[in-house]
Amino acid sequence: MAQRYSSFDKGGRMWLLQRVTAAFLLVVLAFHFFLLHFVHHADEVSFLMSAGRMETMSYYSLMVLFLLTATFHGVNGVYNALVNQGLTGTKRTVIKWTLVAASVVLVVQGIRTANAWAGIPLY
Amino acid sequence: MSTQIPKQTEKADETAAETETDAPSKGDERRAEKRRRADERRRQREAEEAERAAADENTVELRVFRYDPDVEGKQEPRFDTFHVPFTKGMTVLDALMYARDSYDSSLTFRHSCRQAVCGSDAMFVNGGQKLACKTQIDELEEPIRVEPLPHAEVTKDLVVDMEHFYDQMEAVEPYFQTNEYPDGELEEQRQTRENREKIKMSTRCIWCSACMSSCNIAAGDNEYLGPAAINKAYRFAMDEREGEDVKQKRLEIIEQEHGVWRCQTQFSCTEVCPKDIPLTEHIQELKREAVKNNLKFW
Amino acid sequence: MSQSYNRGLIEDFSRWREFEAGMWAWIFHKFTGWVLIGYLFTHIAVLSTAIPASGAETAVLQAGNDVYTQTIVSLEGLLLVRVLEVGLLAVAVFHMLNGARLLLVDLGVGLESQDKSFYASLILTGAITVASVPTFIAGAF
Repeated sequence: MAQRYSSFDKGGRMWLLQRVTAAFLLVVLAFHFFLLHFVHHADEVSFLMSAGRMETMSYYSLMVLFLLTATFHGVNGVYNALVNQGLTGTKRTVIKWTLVAASVVLVVQGIRTANAWAGIPLY
Repeated sequence: MSTQIPKQTEKADETAAETETDAPSKGDERRAEKRRRADERRRQREAEEAERAAADENTVELRVFRYDPDVEGKQEPRFDTFHVPFTKGMTVLDALMYARDSYDSSLTFRHSCRQAVCGSDAMFVNGGQKLACKTQIDELEEPIRVEPLPHAEVTKDLVVDMEHFYDQMEAVEPYFQTNEYPDGELEEQRQTRENREKIKMSTRCIWCSACMSSCNIAAGDNEYLGPAAINKAYRFAMDEREGEDVKQKRLEIIEQEHGVWRCQTQFSCTEVCPKDIPLTEHIQELKREAVKNNLKFW
Repeated sequence: MSQSYNRGLIEDFSRWREFEAGMWAWIFHKFTGWVLIGYLFTHIAVLSTAIPASGAETAVLQAGNDVYTQTIVSLEGLLLVRVLEVGLLAVAVFHMLNGARLLLVDLGVGLESQDKSFYASLILTGAITVASVPTFIAGAF
């Protein structure tokens, strides 16, 4: 009866990646909240201060990685929730690629923003 | 545990009546005991509120789901109320059998061994998946609501269609397979004590489908193997006697997209399993096993 | 699945009184997850105002008169936004704590106390949120 299911899916890899990003996000999100709400206060934000942080290469790369993992974790989570509810067929394919497109837009826009602060002329 | 004799045919009814007159002492004793208790209660009641009396009556109130697609007038689902005399040690199944035998012979439900072995009487009792024959009446709040298992097609009254559940069980090839035989032709396929301990709990499954019915994901995703089938896969994948080749084949089945990955660790299945199988734990172990197995190829 | 008689939502969420800890954890985790991914999109959208702002003169930036600084400061001036931020913190903290619980469950650690760890993450979420209210609301009045 094994042929009832398509053989060797990437389900396991996505499952693992969801957990790995979770562990990473756990730390970085806590740092993000702490830095931008407790160390600095949200109402004292200014372009120059944000830019000052982003100009540091380590901070810039951490934030880009943060964006990538958060987008993957969130969008994959949404996709999983829909599959769990029994999303199948064409609807599933359409939603899958819509989610992929939304992720690309989010990541591109996020990196453009980060570049604007960091003074990287790619935005 | 069960005290009622099921009377399924009219003939059986007659013989049962005979046996009752043959051995009157036990029944009389019980009735006398019941009368004594009822008298006590009545005296108490006189001093108390009149409305409390109804609640103290020595019967249990059952609200049973009824539905029969074949009979006009019964196609609209409804709840029937039965008042069943309580006896010590009475189970939900006992009460249902009493209701069927005394009040309404058309009340339909599956049961066979009446001792939590055959797995045919899983029902939805007071909002939880329970094995009716091992659920004590006095542990439940009244009125007791008895419904067919959720997330399955109702055939009639408390009977649901189990076909999908059996399909999923079959999909994991729930039987011992190996191509590693011991040397001697008549040699037994021995299992180590440790390995037996490891799979012990997983062998206890009685195919009652309570876990499948409780699983929110299995309800949404029809292709999901479900807790029982994955547990069955665990039982064999972890059995060392099957050997590496067969284990690989088993892992391939359970690591499909609608295999172990769909489990969201809600623990619903583990909570309802009448045989206390740690289903979630087994599913999680298979997930890790599958990941380890795949990491080799990366 | 029930074609002959669809019991509908009776089978699922109207049974919420009978839900066990694990089920509640799943519902909350899913809900907070939806909120967080929704927020991520809005967050990036708001921060994108930094792109036009970067073209402004240095003097304008130093005075804080650029689009980005103005947008953030005016948003943060609204009490509603501050309250929503506290809500966001609660949602994020729960998702993180319960996520840590789920990671442990995935590793097969402490499965027998999964209900207690859920209650613990609820209580901790409440405590952290309450403790953060002064920091989040400060200056909004």
